[in-house]
Amino acid sequence: MQLEKSSRLKELVHTCSKEELIWINGYINGLLYETPTSVSKVSILYGTETGNSKSLALNFSTEAKKKGLRVKLIGLDQYKLQDLYKETHAFIIISTHGEGDPPDAAKAFMNFLGQDNLSLPQLQYSVLALGDTAYPLFCKAGEDVDALLEKAGAKRMSATVKCDVDYEQSANDWFTKIMDSMQPATQAEAATTPVVASAKSHERKYYNGIIHTNINLNDIGSTKKTFHIEIGTEETVDYLCGDSLALKPVNEYSIVQKIIELTGADANKTISLPKATGSIKDLLSNNLNILYLSNSTIKKYAAIVQKDIPPTRVDLLDLLQQFPVNNSTQFEEILGILLPMAPRLYSIASSPAAHEQEIHLTVALDTFETETGEQTGNCSRYLGELAVKKSIQFYIHKNNAFKLPPANAAMIMIGPGTGIAPFRAFLAERDYTGASGKNWLFMGERNFSSDFLYQTEIQQYQKTNMLHKISLAFSRDQSAKIYVQHRMLEQAVELFKWIEQGAYLYIAGAKHTMSVDVEQVLLQIIQEQSKITNEEAILYLQKMKQEKRYQKDVY
Amino acid sequence: MSETKNLSPVERIKTKSDGLRGSLKESLDEPITGALYDDDQTLIKFHGLYQQDDRDRREERSLKKLEWLYSYMVRLRLPGGFLLPKQWEGLHEISNQYSTGVIKVTTRQTVQLHGIIKSHIKPSLQQFDLLKLDAIAACGDVNRNVICSAHPKQSALHETIFAYADKISTLALPKTNAYYEIWLDKEKIGSSETEKDPLYQDRYLPRKFKIAIAIPPNNDSDIFANDIGLIAIIKDNQLKGFNIAAGGGLSSTHGNSNTYARLATMLGFVATEEQLLKAVYEIITIQRDYGNRGDRKLARLKYTIDTMGVDAFKKELAIRCGFELAEAAPYEFTERKDYYGWHQNHEGKWYYTLFIENGRITDTETTALKTACYEVAKTGKANYRFTCNQNLILADILPENKAIIEAILVQYGVITHTNDASAIRKNSMACVAFNTCPLALAEAQRYLPTLIGKIEPILTKYELLSEEITIRMTGCPNGCGRSPLAEIGLIGTAYGYYNLHIGGDRNGERLNKEYKQHLNETQILEALDHLFSNYAKARNPAETFGNFVTRLNLV
Repeated sequence: MQLEKSSRLKELVHTCSKEELIWINGYINGLLYETPTSVSKVSILYGTETGNSKSLALNFSTEAKKKGLRVKLIGLDQYKLQDLYKETHAFIIISTHGEGDPPDAAKAFMNFLGQDNLSLPQLQYSVLALGDTAYPLFCKAGEDVDALLEKAGAKRMSATVKCDVDYEQSANDWFTKIMDSMQPATQAEAATTPVVASAKSHERKYYNGIIHTNINLNDIGSTKKTFHIEIGTEETVDYLCGDSLALKPVNEYSIVQKIIELTGADANKTISLPKATGSIKDLLSNNLNILYLSNSTIKKYAAIVQKDIPPTRVDLLDLLQQFPVNNSTQFEEILGILLPMAPRLYSIASSPAAHEQEIHLTVALDTFETETGEQTGNCSRYLGELAVKKSIQFYIHKNNAFKLPPANAAMIMIGPGTGIAPFRAFLAERDYTGASGKNWLFMGERNFSSDFLYQTEIQQYQKTNMLHKISLAFSRDQSAKIYVQHRMLEQAVELFKWIEQGAYLYIAGAKHTMSVDVEQVLLQIIQEQSKITNEEAILYLQKMKQEKRYQKDVY
Repeated sequence: MSETKNLSPVERIKTKSDGLRGSLKESLDEPITGALYDDDQTLIKFHGLYQQDDRDRREERSLKKLEWLYSYMVRLRLPGGFLLPKQWEGLHEISNQYSTGVIKVTTRQTVQLHGIIKSHIKPSLQQFDLLKLDAIAACGDVNRNVICSAHPKQSALHETIFAYADKISTLALPKTNAYYEIWLDKEKIGSSETEKDPLYQDRYLPRKFKIAIAIPPNNDSDIFANDIGLIAIIKDNQLKGFNIAAGGGLSSTHGNSNTYARLATMLGFVATEEQLLKAVYEIITIQRDYGNRGDRKLARLKYTIDTMGVDAFKKELAIRCGFELAEAAPYEFTERKDYYGWHQNHEGKWYYTLFIENGRITDTETTALKTACYEVAKTGKANYRFTCNQNLILADILPENKAIIEAILVQYGVITHTNDASAIRKNSMACVAFNTCPLALAEAQRYLPTLIGKIEPILTKYELLSEEITIRMTGCPNGCGRSPLAEIGLIGTAYGYYNLHIGGDRNGERLNKEYKQHLNETQILEALDHLFSNYAKARNPAETFGNFVTRLNLV
């Protein structure tokens, strides 16, 4: 021991009472023999302005994964604040700017922490504060986070470390110390118990969900609307990556009301139909298809009102306006010919492991031209309009033909547009479980600036080496349209190499014409690269299909 | 000679950049982000570009899981700020095709375009190249655009003196060919031998470097705000030489008392071109060798001179030059302004100076400034000169063409716009600040016009509206808008708040001082109302506002 240190120690010991010495003894023992806590999952949260906090967080995440921990890495600007109640180990990296301010990206987080009644007794945390000693309020934002978490009852694992502009060394020391204090829980502990499908699986299980988040992923200037919807559930939903969520839309209230006004029907009168019983209002809202009626329904309508009606697909309201019913009895008869509302399926965009107690969807607002002008799809319209805290009912549609490959297998994902949904689930699951297989994503949309779905998540996967290759096709950023199949052709040699080496290949998204075009290009690549005939290439692909190495989720 | 330990991270980026190439080519080709790799964000400045993002859109885009909306600002290298009509036409078209559309005249006699996305940088620079324009070293730790008194009517020797701006700019250009390779797809022609850079070596300067030339009695180029300020000494209609001042710089950092605004110190006089170029060159080499490379906030020449002491600095300069500077020649500045409207030079050519508020050339409902400038360019009958106060001179118009130009200016409302602006508005200046400048703490160019609209009635109340009071606003203390040299300076401290400085003189020879801290709009207007009321009552005849508040020791 350095002379200076030993004399300081002696000086200190000299002034201590016996009780104090006993305490020091215990304290030092604790320091020396503290056993690492067993931890399965940690969260690394960063608040960044210049990118320094973020690049540290990315490095730390890689290190923690190497150690065998499951890591949730996320920027505070995208962090769902309610998740704080679920965190057990959170490490926060945050910089300070101007007059002691947090980065803009962390303001909502700070406000959340500042709530009076916040209680986070389950949380253990540590803060890394970045700052600049040239400013008077050095690392103030980090200090604030620490103080607020402590006030909320969270337990500090190690003291806040404050870094100046040359932050690398102290930052690394901070994280090493944290890592040393924990060890990954054994697999048995960590693995989420797989939910065993109920024996009576033919009985459809309905779940109640609450909308946690509903955002349009497309930016100003986009020609599209794509909703990212997070649905929270009380009970654990039995699903796997690759499954779909099924739900029925609720018809627009204003339309239902107009129909009732127009026909003079008693909204509360209970009616029994073959497939449903309920009040007229409920049936019109929840059970019957009243939009874009089928030709056979229109024919039946014509028969009831005894009018000659052209077979143009229109809405019930249009018919009622142009060819009114005589009275409410006739209207009840009309209700009997309407088709029941069909459930719609959406590929799930979340992973049961990584997104606990939540199901995510990626829903494009469906627009199509009809003879009466542009229409929007009823279910995508309904989902897009669902406000946070609204409740919905859904069930899971299993899709055993679209499942993750073995953990060590390479995976090629081709998912333009909302085809990205199941692959977001795949990547999240593989990231969370530390699957070692390589990943290659092909995705596409219209414009880079406004339509790059899940861009920041995908960037993070790339930076943390989860995503080994990414091929992007933005069709409208240049005069010639570029689609994923063009990128596949550009990458033909590499793509075929991956396939030959056993990669699993997945296609998700629009059946027409995307999946057809992609399959054509795939055959072309196989044929050209292995110099075989078209028929042999088809056989090659069939063999891949049998080996479950070629799977599609197209609609 | 310089410190080798504790170099700032930027120093490492410069020396390992392989002649400012870095990984810029790879950065440009990276499709997953609109940003560049971290180090390249520093290097691209040396090529006249800044990576920026729309700060107004950060929060919303984060929620949409989109990265920040990155784009680039390109600033041209235009020694003395001169363009031919064909070049203006090209600039106009490039601005429409690739940028926000606003042509921004800077406080350093050049123009910049904002909002160019990554994939459009190369096409923009290639089009500029066809016009024989470049952006080399328009930003970065090198000598920036050399500025010069703008108006040819000032002296029959204007053309001669103006030519020095170009000579000095060429003298201090980096030798690397990186610009041509990266942006213009030229073959790599430079070898380490031909690219040897005796001035910048591989480390460039510790910080940006600014040079200005003034022709007395007008200090329109604000020479004392520059690292090197040159004063043309004219006697009996002959150029006798230049006074050389050095060590000016207006930036400071809130809360860092080691930083300060400083006026350039007069060093002496040189009589010949050879001596002038040698002295300028060696001032730069002293800064290269002695400047602080550890702390970028203390790296400008002003700190180098104050650390060495003025006498030691002069001695070192004499050693490096091989001659001593002569005693500074007498000169007098009596004004610092642009000569708005029509003026004629000694040869009979006509000049029209347009008022451009904060340098933003764009069409508004009342004045089609941008269209007018374009129409003038298409006649081919006027050249374009930028002033150091963000205005534009339509220049070198032959007497027979004056009516043609005048007609265009009348048609698009330019003359009314210039005549109708109040004296304080014409003497105002603001930096860019929000939404693109990453350093901005508060608004500047988007807000100053509104604030002046509220100051004008106060001036009217005290019958001061015709007073040519200078007012300048910067969104942070870095001084791009040169607010420390204004009679009224406003320096942003936080969003919506400014420090109010007063007491600068009208000619740019005395810095203003802080009068009140952290004021919102109401408080600014109250403070000014109070000051103007006193000024109107108690000033001496012809006493400027800045001199008045200084005489009364208000600051």
